Amino acid sequence: MRGALAPLAVAAVLFAILPMGLSMAGSGYLFRLADVTLIFCILSLSMQLITGVAGLLTLGHAAFYGIGAYTAAILSTRVGLDAGLTIPVAGLVSALFGVLIALPTMRLVSIYFAVATLGLGEMIYVTLLNWVSFTRGPLGIGDIPPLRPFGFDLSSPLGTYFLIAALAVLSLLIVHRIAHSYYGNALRALREDDQCADAMGLPVVRLKIEVFAIATFLAGIAGALWAHTTGYVNPADFRFAESILILAMVVVGGLGSIPGAIVGAALLILLPEALRAIGEVRILAVGLIMFLCILFLPKGLFGEVAALDLVRRQFGAAWRGGSAARPLGWR
Amino acid sequence: MTTTRRSLLAATAMVPFAAQHARAQPRRILIGYQLPLTGEFSQYGERFRNSALMALEAFNRAGRLPVPVEIVFEDTRSDPREAVAVARKFVDNREIVAVLGDFSSSASIQAGRVYAEVGMPQLSQTASHPDFVKISPWQFRNITTQAYEGPRVAEWMRENGVRRVAVVAIQNDWGQSVVSNFAEAFRAGGGEVVATQFFNPGNREFRAILTEIARARPDAIYIGMFYEDGAAFLQQRRQLNIRIPVYATSSLYEPKLVELAGAGAEGIFLSTTFMSTSPEPHVRAFVEEYRRRFGSEPNMFSAQAFDAVNILLEAIVRAWPEVTRARVREELAKTRDFPGVTGVTTFDPETREPAKTLARMRIENGQFVLLR
Amino acid sequence: MFDRFDIFFVQQLINGFSVGLVYALVAIGFTLIFGVLNVVNFAHGEIYMIGAYAGLLAIIFLAPPWVALLLLVLAAGIAAGIALERAAFKPFRRFRDEASLKSKAMRESTLLSSLAISIVVRETVEKIFGADMQAIPRAYADAMQEPISLGELAIASGQIAILAAAVVMFASLQWILKRTDIGLCIRAVAANPLGAQYVGVHVDRTVIATFAIGSGMGAVAGLLIGLYQGTIFPAMGFAPGVKAFVAMVMGGLNSIPGAVICAIVLGLAEAVATEFFGQGWADLVAYVFLVLTLVFFPTGLFGAGRERV
Repeated sequence: MRGALAPLAVAAVLFAILPMGLSMAGSGYLFRLADVTLIFCILSLSMQLITGVAGLLTLGHAAFYGIGAYTAAILSTRVGLDAGLTIPVAGLVSALFGVLIALPTMRLVSIYFAVATLGLGEMIYVTLLNWVSFTRGPLGIGDIPPLRPFGFDLSSPLGTYFLIAALAVLSLLIVHRIAHSYYGNALRALREDDQCADAMGLPVVRLKIEVFAIATFLAGIAGALWAHTTGYVNPADFRFAESILILAMVVVGGLGSIPGAIVGAALLILLPEALRAIGEVRILAVGLIMFLCILFLPKGLFGEVAALDLVRRQFGAAWRGGSAARPLGWR
Repeated sequence: MTTTRRSLLAATAMVPFAAQHARAQPRRILIGYQLPLTGEFSQYGERFRNSALMALEAFNRAGRLPVPVEIVFEDTRSDPREAVAVARKFVDNREIVAVLGDFSSSASIQAGRVYAEVGMPQLSQTASHPDFVKISPWQFRNITTQAYEGPRVAEWMRENGVRRVAVVAIQNDWGQSVVSNFAEAFRAGGGEVVATQFFNPGNREFRAILTEIARARPDAIYIGMFYEDGAAFLQQRRQLNIRIPVYATSSLYEPKLVELAGAGAEGIFLSTTFMSTSPEPHVRAFVEEYRRRFGSEPNMFSAQAFDAVNILLEAIVRAWPEVTRARVREELAKTRDFPGVTGVTTFDPETREPAKTLARMRIENGQFVLLR
Repeated sequence: MFDRFDIFFVQQLINGFSVGLVYALVAIGFTLIFGVLNVVNFAHGEIYMIGAYAGLLAIIFLAPPWVALLLLVLAAGIAAGIALERAAFKPFRRFRDEASLKSKAMRESTLLSSLAISIVVRETVEKIFGADMQAIPRAYADAMQEPISLGELAIASGQIAILAAAVVMFASLQWILKRTDIGLCIRAVAANPLGAQYVGVHVDRTVIATFAIGSGMGAVAGLLIGLYQGTIFPAMGFAPGVKAFVAMVMGGLNSIPGAVICAIVLGLAEAVATEFFGQGWADLVAYVFLVLTLVFFPTGLFGAGRERV
């Protein structure tokens, strides 16, 4: 029963109720907020797959988002590719980078992996910023055409909304199918104990690389959507703070939980906008709300795993062998 | 906790109703101002708001229009996500006839694309990115770009006998235009650019750059950065005992520079459109009023915002009684010889770029001194 | 290429060494806290910033002599560290089941709670003092910024002060850890909190002591570096914080000497890279080092050699 109702409800809200309401309000502002929220839903879902389901804490997700955005921007402005092609290509390029980066780093454990992704994320940002001849560096790339895939003009607020919503639902389906399958169970096994998973015959490293590729593909798509809907990309949009924002969405919503990723994204995008009324202290309020969420809802709003458990395992793993091999912390 | 929750509820409740205000009688004229009031650029947004409130109050007090003009301030942190959302919000509000801002060029461009699409005049006080006014005929700015300033500084250096120069600039869109415009003009005049260094935003460690430059033995260093970076740069130059003269962009004209850099700031050359020590009466009136109300010294950014607001208000007066977005745009494009505190401003009707006069200054004994 | 190895290159090495010391000063406190709790304290950069602001306020209102100033800042840092521990770390140490304790249960989702606290602290300071750089009374600033010429080379008085501070902090930390009771407790908890608890170490008190020591040192570092660079502003902790983090990881996460050595190596590498590629790309060096280290030495350069978990 519930299995049939939930998808129907999601579809009804996304494709009927929400667009109808937005059109009636006739507000470009609300449409824009809906678009951005859905783009960040894709991002948080993709991070959920890596961090929540497979248990790999990543701190450089914004870099893949940026690679997607830049791929779409460069292809559509210099090569003149159609948005119908730039979006999948952006996903593929991002996934390619994901695999390239995953190959050397996937053998790292826990906190070391998190730090490596942080470093790689900053490397990609510095490259986007300083490779002026290719990315135009800090000048950014402007005049990215709006969404007109294969001749269908979707540049109106409603059309853009429907395309983004469709892609968000597609990502939701992909992530949902992966998370709720034997494959997903294998990933959870990695999350819980990857040594044990290895002993049971799971191809640990291959699984990690695959899931990383899928997640970075989705992040690339989100980047392409951002580029086409905003029309101008700049390296500063894809910095470390953006990665932390996505991570915060996943943690506030609940690690490993798909509804959690969506609610987390909606909350952290819409909250600062809703708090405009309290003006200058709103970022402070967002920080406080984040803190209270972690304090009182350690499992997130819809937690599958307590955020605590995951982080504990991350750091515990980095520590265990070390403390056994050496008698004390410092010498 | 309770207050937080209550204000949060209140805030969420207000969002849907915002649109309904739009149907009110045209008893006032609304202007939108998007600017960073939180985050790392909030000190600039603060100055913009101060100046805008000053200009607006004076205007309404003078009673030049039968209805009051109001400004809606929205914080964007100069963050592209929020800048675009705010742009949509302003466009939705049918009462708003024109928009000021944003602070950074990239936020201004991202918002500008929304304004171009819908048809809303946008006047930025600071967006100096070459592409900004090229977005559409709806974009204006009242800041002189480096395409204007660079060649004039190059000429000034030549007059002072500088043949070899090193350039240091921040790695952002503005810094890029500092280097390209200046270097082109300087080379055209027969000079040589012996070193070019960009530094990443947020970096305040310049010793390595300074040492690298010192090796090239230039006659002068030209720096394109904001005053805070500039203060760190000048201090570190002094610590390294490098005595090469420094020329700076107008963005370093800020009384706090001397406070921050101390002896390091001594002797640097810079050009500017705004001078707080100017003897002209309207500049003195502005500076005194600003000091009195906000207890701080106005700088180039305060003056820039003050003029932007006044230019827009003038255009609205000329458009009265038919104050629509299209009419305000037309009138903005006709701005000629506007006597602002940053000099006389004229918009080129085609490129919508301003033309102004630049003054040459030097820091001597901790004071900005006008040369010539 | 080789014409670059001249007196300016030596100057560049001096510059790099002083940058490295700045990173090292931040990394010492960072690594100490990581060693005991095994979590990244994202708010360490904010402690560093609080130290600078506390010192600045003391300078403006009291104009104390240097020793008193440093003690005041040390006290402010200790207070801030204890408050931080209470708000962001203590609430997550309530899980006491054996599974949690065995896997070093004291460090929980504090990564994000400390991040949230750091946002709140930074925004609050920004609201009170503004986001721009603070002017420092000249008497104090000049003491740290006076150039000292050594032939063609130049160093600043502040660089000597920072070197001295780094040596003093490093030595006193070693002394505390090796020669005092509290140091023994800290090392015990770092090695095995469950075991430490079994033999009667007061774990809570030890963690608080760790935060007090680490944050006190962070605050003093913030003031000294703020005065020496002349840059005190709310976001000042971010850039050195990230580099200190990289140094800590390269050093193997729980090795303080390792973190200090790696911080200095990073500073030198950045200065030399600026020489060849420009500052824009030099920022990449730290991260390239980080990734190379992790790929070839997966547990850091000075970490204990251990099995992959």
